[in-house]
Amino acid sequence: MKKYAKLVKVGDNVVTSVADIGENETFIVKTENGEKSYKSNQKVDFGHKIAVEEIKKGEQILKYGQEIGIATADIKVGDWVHIHNVRDNYEVK
Amino acid sequence: MDFYGFPRPDGQVGARNFIGILPAVGCVNAVALQIERLIKGTRAITHHQGCLHPPQDTEQVTRTLINLGKNPNCAGVLVVGLGCEMVKIEEVVEGIRESKKPVDAVVVHELGGMLETINKGAQIAADMVMEASKIRREKSGFDKLVFCTKCGSSDTTSGLSSNLVVGEVCKMLTDMGGTFIQGEVCDIMGGEYALKDLCVNPKEGDKIVGFVKDLYERGLAVGADTRGCQMTAGNVAGGLTTLVEKAMGANSKGQMVPIQSALLYGERPQCAGRHIMATPGHGFENLTGGAAGGSQLILFTTGRGAPNGHPVIPAVKICGNAKTNLTMKSHIDIDVASVINETETVRQAGERLFELAVDVASGRMTKAEILNFDGHMEILIKGPVM
Repeated sequence: MKKYAKLVKVGDNVVTSVADIGENETFIVKTENGEKSYKSNQKVDFGHKIAVEEIKKGEQILKYGQEIGIATADIKVGDWVHIHNVRDNYEVK
Repeated sequence: MDFYGFPRPDGQVGARNFIGILPAVGCVNAVALQIERLIKGTRAITHHQGCLHPPQDTEQVTRTLINLGKNPNCAGVLVVGLGCEMVKIEEVVEGIRESKKPVDAVVVHELGGMLETINKGAQIAADMVMEASKIRREKSGFDKLVFCTKCGSSDTTSGLSSNLVVGEVCKMLTDMGGTFIQGEVCDIMGGEYALKDLCVNPKEGDKIVGFVKDLYERGLAVGADTRGCQMTAGNVAGGLTTLVEKAMGANSKGQMVPIQSALLYGERPQCAGRHIMATPGHGFENLTGGAAGGSQLILFTTGRGAPNGHPVIPAVKICGNAKTNLTMKSHIDIDVASVINETETVRQAGERLFELAVDVASGRMTKAEILNFDGHMEILIKGPVM
């Protein structure tokens, strides 16, 4: 069975997995231009995020077309993206 | 698909047609509950507020009681007072009277005790029910519809399916001239600037930013960082990494629909369209805020399965978690897991939800109503409780 991850908004650099994806497993992201397949570098559970672009340390994580956090390490395409490599930079102003 | 509702003298249209038995203060809840048991067609709207508040809270509770009474689902209202509460019974009665619906009051201290008050109150309520039962549903415009929304017992599916589907309904409803009220300041936290950008009037956007700042500062006053408190272990285990990510998922209940105004807790919107109300995430107070805002029903998204409803407005439970749709079947009104499986588009699921909401507004019962899982509510206060 094909496994999918969801791109919430075009331009986002992460997708959200809608299946439990294993290490080195192929998953598919649907875009306006059809399906694109990627390979996961780690195990990624349902609901967790995976990078679909290279994100350097200090760069923004984009989901919903919005900056949701800052990378605390270099992130490769296919990497699991969560609290181990993302910092919350939100402040109440 | 048409909306059939109960016409009210002030032009609003009700989805339900009961007589509200409304305590001015929590001390007389027992009286209101007895009247509800005695008289068919009544609904006790009990809460625990109305006394020993700072003036700001007395004002907020009074406003909320009046606007609950004005909710179109109430055909008439009997206010029950104790006689010594901070909320002024007469002010509540006069406020509700502006809607031109039948309203009366009974006061325990004046009538000499509980049994006497139940006796008089039940007689008044019985007469009101008789009159209300003569009102028939009429075909009404979608512009008369007011929906509010909330997410409870959320998980990662909420932002990926049910909240987006509600956002679709927000688009459809506001396009047809209806009104949509969104709240949950704690869930807005992190996404307040995204909402501000959607405000028609920047001043209203500043108010939304102010709601978040107020919550943050009140947290700091008791030594809590409300940014950190927001992210539960369950959120993180489910894949949510940051507060902004969580907020963006919550905000999607209104998608990109322009925001007309920022409302105080329990305040009624002055125009159609999408509004943001300063409600908390906590369900008991949240649903009351939407009901006081004049909503006929609430679109309540859930991931893990929140079962509770509200005494004044039916709650439509929307779930995008396929597992929960099986395990909590008896509590979920509509399954939108199809959006995650991609067997249905968000738009198609939105159309399905809109149709169900119109059905519920026209009399179809929700699971929470059928199960009597809708008897409790609360009114928000800021405190301190004195």
